[in-house]
Amino acid sequence: MNSIIKYAQCSSLSQWSPVFASQFHTSSALSRVVSGKYRITKKRDRPLTYEMANPPHFIAHRKSWNSWNTSSLKDGLRRSETAVEDEFIRRFLNGTWHGLVCSEVIIKRQFNHIRVAAIVRRAVSPTKMYFLIGYTEELLSNWIQCPVTLELQTVDSYKDVVFKYI
Amino acid sequence: MYSNIVLSRQWARLACVCRYMSTIEGQKLPQAARSSDGISPPPRIARSPTDILQALAATVGTDPSAAHYKYHDDPYLIPQSNYRKRSYALSAEAGRKAAAWIRDEHAELFTMREWDPPMKMKTPYFNADPQIEAFAPKPIYNDESKVTEEDLRYTIQNALLEDAIKVFELLGGVDNLNDELKLSLLQLLCFYNEKEPVSLEWLEERWFSAATRERQSTTWKLGGLADKIFTAMEPKTSEAYSAIIQGMAKYYQAERAHVLAQEAREQGIPLSTTVYNSLLGCVGFLKEGVTLRVEALKSILNEMNEQGLSPNSETLSACLRSISSWGSGKALQTVALQVVAECRQLGIAPSLSAYYYLLCLFCKEQGPRIDILTNIIADLENRESIEATQATDTNFFITAMGVCSDHLQDVNLAERVHALLMKGDNYKLVGDAYKESIYYRHLVTVTCKYAPFEKTTQLLDTLVPNIYVPEPSVMEEIIRTLEVGGAGDRLADAWSQLVVFGHAKRTKLVEKLLSALCNCYTYQDDEVKAKIRQAAADILKFGQLMEEREENEDRRSPTQKLSASALSNIVELCSDTQDKLDPNWSTVENAVQRLRDEQAAGVPARPQILADLAQKAATVGKPELAALAVTYLAECGFEEATAASVQTLGVMLNRPVEEVETLLQEQKASLATSLHPSALAVAQAYHIAKTGAPLHESESSSASSESDSESSSDDE
Repeated sequence: MNSIIKYAQCSSLSQWSPVFASQFHTSSALSRVVSGKYRITKKRDRPLTYEMANPPHFIAHRKSWNSWNTSSLKDGLRRSETAVEDEFIRRFLNGTWHGLVCSEVIIKRQFNHIRVAAIVRRAVSPTKMYFLIGYTEELLSNWIQCPVTLELQTVDSYKDVVFKYI
Repeated sequence: MYSNIVLSRQWARLACVCRYMSTIEGQKLPQAARSSDGISPPPRIARSPTDILQALAATVGTDPSAAHYKYHDDPYLIPQSNYRKRSYALSAEAGRKAAAWIRDEHAELFTMREWDPPMKMKTPYFNADPQIEAFAPKPIYNDESKVTEEDLRYTIQNALLEDAIKVFELLGGVDNLNDELKLSLLQLLCFYNEKEPVSLEWLEERWFSAATRERQSTTWKLGGLADKIFTAMEPKTSEAYSAIIQGMAKYYQAERAHVLAQEAREQGIPLSTTVYNSLLGCVGFLKEGVTLRVEALKSILNEMNEQGLSPNSETLSACLRSISSWGSGKALQTVALQVVAECRQLGIAPSLSAYYYLLCLFCKEQGPRIDILTNIIADLENRESIEATQATDTNFFITAMGVCSDHLQDVNLAERVHALLMKGDNYKLVGDAYKESIYYRHLVTVTCKYAPFEKTTQLLDTLVPNIYVPEPSVMEEIIRTLEVGGAGDRLADAWSQLVVFGHAKRTKLVEKLLSALCNCYTYQDDEVKAKIRQAAADILKFGQLMEEREENEDRRSPTQKLSASALSNIVELCSDTQDKLDPNWSTVENAVQRLRDEQAAGVPARPQILADLAQKAATVGKPELAALAVTYLAECGFEEATAASVQTLGVMLNRPVEEVETLLQEQKASLATSLHPSALAVAQAYHIAKTGAPLHESESSSASSESDSESSSDDE
């Protein structure tokens, strides 16, 4: 079955192109017990956001994805590019809004439009925030070459997003 | 198996193509003829790619309760005052500009084109789609770049003026260009007068910058590159003449423009209607005096007629522009009407610009009231849609609303103008931020003055604060309206609005608000009364806060302090309570203390307030406050001081007025020892008011007696 798909996709592309069909991913998760989870501290004072407090198996049950795109569906396009770009956006945002982002950066792709959502602290004035918004949007859209929109919410302090301490 | 699939795929594609062809065929089919089954689908309507989006957008109106979509939808990031609206929008754009600067400065890092296949392989590789030219790497031209005519064409088409000039120089100047490129470069230079235009990309800068009025002075660069190219062009075509004449006319180099036009005519080179339009627009710079100017205008029109050129709507607005800029008066108005009538006969409907110039000509501020606006609006309302054709079209609505407000003072007409602006997508004609705010200033002013109260409040509720933030003068008007309407609740809210809009430091406005609060205080509900008292207390607190901040920061220009009348208004509002524990008493004490310390300008307009306060304070059991008020009255030399001090003392000592009077008259010496310090202070005040001098006791003894009897009861 796999080979049929592979051949089909191969034939529709030209002969010299790399094979873009991906196979079913069947390996088990690496270090299933510890990955994506946080260790409890002795003093029980590690702050967790809601997103951090829920381990990976709760994705789609209690929490949702951090990246929304269709690249990993069947016949999805630009898999590796999407993953790398998302990581780039996250790092860029955390560096540009230094010490301000207090949640995970959610990246949603619709058509050729990328919406980036995050919760930031109100540590700088609104004017500066607007400057950073314009700067981030423009630079990212020049880099990724499609419209990028920031969708921010602000909170007074980091404590507002703490869900529990472990 | 493999070949099978390929075959089926190609079959499918073939079928798809067939279907597509048949649908195209089917769309062409039904015209007037009926098909055999009696069904005739309507003919195909050509649509542009964004038509569906526009249709969808048309179903959603603007939401006045939300901030403009250029602002972030978060309480912290939504602007509330004009200053903030401006600074937030411009900050975001400054950020964009910073990013654009980085992109240009480090262009070597931004060379990717995501939509190109990796390694530039010519494969049907699906990549970022669609291609967006705006994000593509931009060419950079410097002294070393190797350029071709293609580059020049690119820069001209994208209106990159400085780059175009650079490429032009690199190509070796005028001699090495073909005629077509020379002409398009000349057109570009003439259109922008050799100045790089503000890029279309910077929306906010354009929106907020137009506050600077366009000056009508000669800005054309004489002997500039455009002139050089024009002289080097041989033979000089009609297009070249058109370009240079229109450029000169646009930048007010009227004489040269007319000389060149004359030259072209002598050489038998035909000029277009647009050239004549631009000549008409600057004809006034050639001649002095109305009659000569009108003659020149008519001669140009006659010339157009001789050339066999028919005028268009721009001709009309150019004529009216010239006429309206020559002043006013019956003669010019008649000429303008003649031109309009003649154009009507030719089937030319006046554009918005033409109407704008007519309004300028007829509705002068000092002139007699002429109502031409009603007919104009009726005409515009009958039009299907209003298209913007010229830059001056955006002046129409602001001028029309100004005429409604200042000239005609007609609120019904103002509503019609506003409805017209809100119809369809006419709102694009509002111009820029500056014009928009003036438009709303006029609208709100005329509504406040002449509309019924409910209508006014309704309008204010929709406009303020997201669409429009009232300026101080408009705010004054609004406060006056609310005062007349007796809306105490809204007046109390007006204070918080003042703070949010950044007008709270404007003392005059705050004083107006305070007196409005006082005037409509008596007939409000208890709940509203409490709210008003709160607002009054808040005003005083805000003033003190500002002063403290000022002292800390050491500002150059100190803010004005509240006047004595305003303070006494606060006193009146806050002292309306029978409860000794009411927190507002501290505000009252504070206000009176400020009066006493002469921290307020002038003296209270209604000293009776303080006299009443003294009595009320004595009744409630705050003798110090009562004494303070009476002393202040006496020291300022108000007539009320005598009566007030007698009455207050009467309340304090719980004795009838006559008895207190005799007491005060007779036992001057014994008073000091027998009276409570507060009562003594009242007695002192009485004597100051009566004789202008305090009692004979020295300051120190009374001070010590005060500290001695601090704990004793109020009454003797």
